[in-house]
Amino acid sequence: MTGARRHKAFSYAVTIPFVILLGFPFFWMAVTSFKPEAQVYDPTKVWTFQPTLANYGFLFHQTDYLRWLRNSCFVGLMVVLITLAVALPAGYALAPLSGRVGRTMGVGIFLTYLVPPTLLFLPLSRVISKLNLEDRLWALILVYPSFTIPFAVWLLMGFFKSVPQELEDAALMDGCSRFGALVRVVLPVSLPGILTVVIFTFSLVINEFVYAITFISSATNRTVTVGVPTDLIRGDLFNWPGIMAAILIPSIPLALVYNAFLNRFITGFTGGAFR
Amino acid sequence: MSDTDNDAGSEGRLTRRDLLRKAGAGAVAVGVAGTGAPYAFAGPLRFKGRDLKGDLSIIQWVHFVPAYDDWFDNTWVKQWGQANDVQVNVEHINNTLLDTRAAAEVAGQSGHDLFMNLHPMAAYEDQVINHASIVHEIEAKVGKIGALAKASTYNPKTKKYFALSDNYVPDPVVWRHDLWNDVGESPATWAHVAKAAPKLKANGHPIGIGQSQEVDSNMALIAFLMCFGGFIQDQHNRPTLYTKKTVEAVKFMTNLYKTGEEAAIFGWNPASNNNYLYSGTASLILNAISATRTPEAQHLPFADNLWIWPIPAGPHGRLGLEHVMSCYLIWKFAKNKENAEKFLADLCIAGRQATDASQLYNFPSFPGAYPFPQIRKAAAADPHKPHGKYTILTTIAEKYTHNIGYPGTTNAAIDEIFSKYLIPQMFAQVSQGKLSAHDSVRDTMSVIKDIYAKWRKRGKI
Repeated sequence: MTGARRHKAFSYAVTIPFVILLGFPFFWMAVTSFKPEAQVYDPTKVWTFQPTLANYGFLFHQTDYLRWLRNSCFVGLMVVLITLAVALPAGYALAPLSGRVGRTMGVGIFLTYLVPPTLLFLPLSRVISKLNLEDRLWALILVYPSFTIPFAVWLLMGFFKSVPQELEDAALMDGCSRFGALVRVVLPVSLPGILTVVIFTFSLVINEFVYAITFISSATNRTVTVGVPTDLIRGDLFNWPGIMAAILIPSIPLALVYNAFLNRFITGFTGGAFR
Repeated sequence: MSDTDNDAGSEGRLTRRDLLRKAGAGAVAVGVAGTGAPYAFAGPLRFKGRDLKGDLSIIQWVHFVPAYDDWFDNTWVKQWGQANDVQVNVEHINNTLLDTRAAAEVAGQSGHDLFMNLHPMAAYEDQVINHASIVHEIEAKVGKIGALAKASTYNPKTKKYFALSDNYVPDPVVWRHDLWNDVGESPATWAHVAKAAPKLKANGHPIGIGQSQEVDSNMALIAFLMCFGGFIQDQHNRPTLYTKKTVEAVKFMTNLYKTGEEAAIFGWNPASNNNYLYSGTASLILNAISATRTPEAQHLPFADNLWIWPIPAGPHGRLGLEHVMSCYLIWKFAKNKENAEKFLADLCIAGRQATDASQLYNFPSFPGAYPFPQIRKAAAADPHKPHGKYTILTTIAEKYTHNIGYPGTTNAAIDEIFSKYLIPQMFAQVSQGKLSAHDSVRDTMSVIKDIYAKWRKRGKI
């Protein structure tokens, strides 16, 4: 066996178990989503598979699933926009600040990300009530940036630090304003970092549960994370095929986006690591 | 390497671009196919183009018997709303989220007009109206409030009804007759359970009593404790947990876990014991009759072998708890208090309809709304096998169902102990070998004493 082949075989030997381990839940999810509900509960029929689209029909016609998806996407997109609008200038401004002050400010901002929603939801309930935003998607749009912005600032700060100062200086020398240098030079080379923020923020919002269950109660304003456990778990009866279908559907586009931008995503996360 | 070579080399391989395209097409196909499947859903109640005078917002759990929610949302609420000219908006959330939701509504001083929970939330006494007038209105129509409901919702110290219970749920032991027959036993007493448990576990069918931070474990273990003579408080609402009998009960349960249960019980949620039973694994659980109704509805192969009995007897007797104490409360900050009061009164007066709609899961908190002999008759008519198995429910409800905090009343301290899952924690620490039975009971008592002191200071006990 040549060295190259040996290397390839080794790569496969390492990768394949990981692929199976990580892919199996999705495989199981997909298979279960096509099983009749009674079959899932019957212990004598664990390995029986009679595919049906009934669960997808149930989701689309007997629940507000499409509305939940639409709500999740709307909140996600709005939060991404707000996060970028705040985190880009903040990260850019904090990046050149070296020394104790800069480090402390960066760490301080990141620490706010670590305060758990299970503590924050009580004081935030008061805020939402005062603003008359109860049971409105705008409550989530207001609250979610409280944890997406700190992370995004911290990430972008690291990324902006990795952009050579000479590039920006050259742009300034050529007559660009500070804002022009940011828009024309720094942002284009920081695209992987920005994409990382977009994807990560959107994922965080799509997955969030505590605030969504606290601030939203009506069926029409539910997001996917709240709608699924509320409408697909009837007391002690888990509608497993329906739940699997409901989770599988948003997983697919998210997986595709991750896959499409995988290289840039990795660059985004490691961008500020080697300076 | 030329482009041609590249093409040839990639023949039959799936590139990332192909993968994206195919997966995307698959997702679209599934979505389109799903939207085309048949359906028969009427949708939530809405008075379109309404011209109603009042509003009423209700939040409550997703009932364990789906038929009840169908009746409540699509029949009861609709009829009541039209009769009273009120737009009623009902929201259902998972039962595990109700406590969080209540905390948020109180923190924000804003929320639903009617808030329902599965246990009396005595700790919120200052946040709610006195429900006494509703109780009196119902009593005038159907007779006195049941002793269980009164002990669960009335504070004798402040003379205030801090909630109104419309129904409660008896908590029988649900067991697989076929599996117990195989080992020649039946769960008449806890001694029998302990004797059968190792054999059942050896046959692949362990006992399913949880020791987790969830409501079913709470209920089962507090009731178990009472059967052994261990009580959180006495009839004067003074803490009495730290006794030899409690220690003995904890030791007994630890042994039961070691010989007849699996470690999964430490991480259970309220539906876990049900699912344990539905999977064909569990031989016995403590649960309401949703545990038998679901297998009947799903036509599971062992549905006819599920028997229900009163809680097994212990050295101190057969003392059970309600499985669910359905309690509604009206916040002081509720916007439509009058509508809420009228709705609650009418719901309790219609206890018969509600009980029937729940397939005998709910029992009315005002017994006069649906007297026991009539419930027994309805239970006897249930067609599921073994015939007549549900008639025992009335005996359980009448003789073996007590409030949380028995022999005292359910109060703010009990509510806090219950909400913090201190009793399951006390058992689990010993079963997991972290503490001795004596130390675990002593430590729990220490925490409980502080809780009682706090609420006594606030004038609630």
